Amino acid sequence: MENFSLNCELVKKFIIEFIKEEVHSNGFNRCVIGLSGGLDSVLVAYLSKEALGKENVKAIIMPYKTSNPASKEDALTAVTHLGILHETIDITKIADTYFKKEKEMTNIRMGNFLARSRMSILFDKSREFKALVMGTSNKSELILGYSTWYGDMAASFYPIGDLYKTQIFKFAQFMQIPKKIITKKPSADLWPGQTDEKELGAKYIQIDSILTLYVDQRKTKDEIIALGYSQKIVESLLNRIKKTQFKRTFPPVAKFSPRTFGLDFLYPHDLGK
Amino acid sequence: MKIKIALAQINPLLGDIEKNREKHLEFIEKAIENNAQIIVFPELSITGYRLKDFTMEVALPANSNFFNPILKQSKKIDIAFGFVERGKDNNIYNSAMYIENQSIKSVYQKIYLPTHGMFQELRFMGKGEKITTFKTIYGNFSMLICRDLFHPSLLFLTYAQKTDVVLGMSGMPLRGVTGKKPAIQETVEKAIDTYTNFFSQFIVFVNRVGFEDGLGFYGGSFVGTPLGKKLAFAGILQEKLTFATIDLEEIYKKRQLFPLAREEDLNIVQDNLRRILEENYGKF
Repeated sequence: MENFSLNCELVKKFIIEFIKEEVHSNGFNRCVIGLSGGLDSVLVAYLSKEALGKENVKAIIMPYKTSNPASKEDALTAVTHLGILHETIDITKIADTYFKKEKEMTNIRMGNFLARSRMSILFDKSREFKALVMGTSNKSELILGYSTWYGDMAASFYPIGDLYKTQIFKFAQFMQIPKKIITKKPSADLWPGQTDEKELGAKYIQIDSILTLYVDQRKTKDEIIALGYSQKIVESLLNRIKKTQFKRTFPPVAKFSPRTFGLDFLYPHDLGK
Repeated sequence: MKIKIALAQINPLLGDIEKNREKHLEFIEKAIENNAQIIVFPELSITGYRLKDFTMEVALPANSNFFNPILKQSKKIDIAFGFVERGKDNNIYNSAMYIENQSIKSVYQKIYLPTHGMFQELRFMGKGEKITTFKTIYGNFSMLICRDLFHPSLLFLTYAQKTDVVLGMSGMPLRGVTGKKPAIQETVEKAIDTYTNFFSQFIVFVNRVGFEDGLGFYGGSFVGTPLGKKLAFAGILQEKLTFATIDLEEIYKKRQLFPLAREEDLNIVQDNLRRILEENYGKF
């Protein structure tokens, strides 16, 4: 397995400065976070509070009827611990009104719909609270595309988007996040019994080792397998990266003018901030 | 000669040259109040770094009136800063300007523009070709910009021209967070340690701070001296103005203690370079 050591003090300082500058330079003081009670969103809440102050951070908790009750409890534990603002909006009625009209709702369709309903509420709340929407995606899920496009991926920026999940477990301890939130099985909690590792087919330490070998060290598939990783898992993960590339790019525009968005109209995101 | 140098570790706004000029004037004012004789700003301090297509919209000729308020202050202090230059040849350059007593002493066009991974400089700017030493009232100076500092050949060329003080003006993003310091900071400090030791020069390293599109410039400005001292450490990730008083006498002392400069033979370098170019690149 690869080494995921981290200078937590340095990373904390860097991310806090990043949050401050992104929020303030965009003309805001506040942020909203969709707080599921999972480790990633809780970690972002902890970092946001340190960067912006508790009065400027609002957690929106959005359970559905099948959500694990422990998730909401964990979210409330974090909120109480941090003293940040929060609001709970049950999305069961909103989602079920739609689901009832549809005949064959699969887990994936339902999961995506729930993620996008939460996104819709979160962006509305950001307008109400005059705030930016914090992204809570980590590097493992961004690179695997293991998230809903325009759902939980929708955000103003990603403060923990360059940390693998394995690093997040360590970093969360440093940030003194309650142990029960760190040690529970990572899950998108989109349907009962769902866990990341079951769905991705391997433990996070394996997944992240393969990812860092491929992404950061630019090893080939064969080189990674030769190191002793399962061919099936390596192939499945690398396939996921390829198949989900569309989620990480600006959608193509059919080009015929001299300057076209995404191709040769290349302005930085942060221009004039 | 002793010189008090101010290191302006600033966070320029991306693309807002008026506000950045204001920030330069504020830092210059503070440096003057502290009796500094020279103030050094980072790479592209007037424009910000990750401009992409906006590069063309902030490009200015070195003699533009826009710089007049800064030029005016150079009666009281020498000033080095970075800007996007609209060159006389109608090309755009990542440049640095040194001004003294209301006149431009030198404009340096960055030679090595990184264009890989997160860097896209050659896509928007042209490559400089000339590295010079210029005389100031304080001694012989050269300017290098960011990636240039990772090419020992350029440091050697300043040494060969008897540069006393190299101004290394940078916009280096942080990467590598496993060690005690950011990995990039370790790399820079090791390089500067080596150059100052073997070339017996001073290197004034001024790196910017702030975030642009997720890139976080780490700062960590300092002055490296020929005797291996590190002065005026600015720390990381915060705007700061620090001061270092350097004594050029150190160069003399170092060159007597460790007389590499006396041994240096530029003819051997030239003969071998010619041969290498002929044998490997088919040109002269």
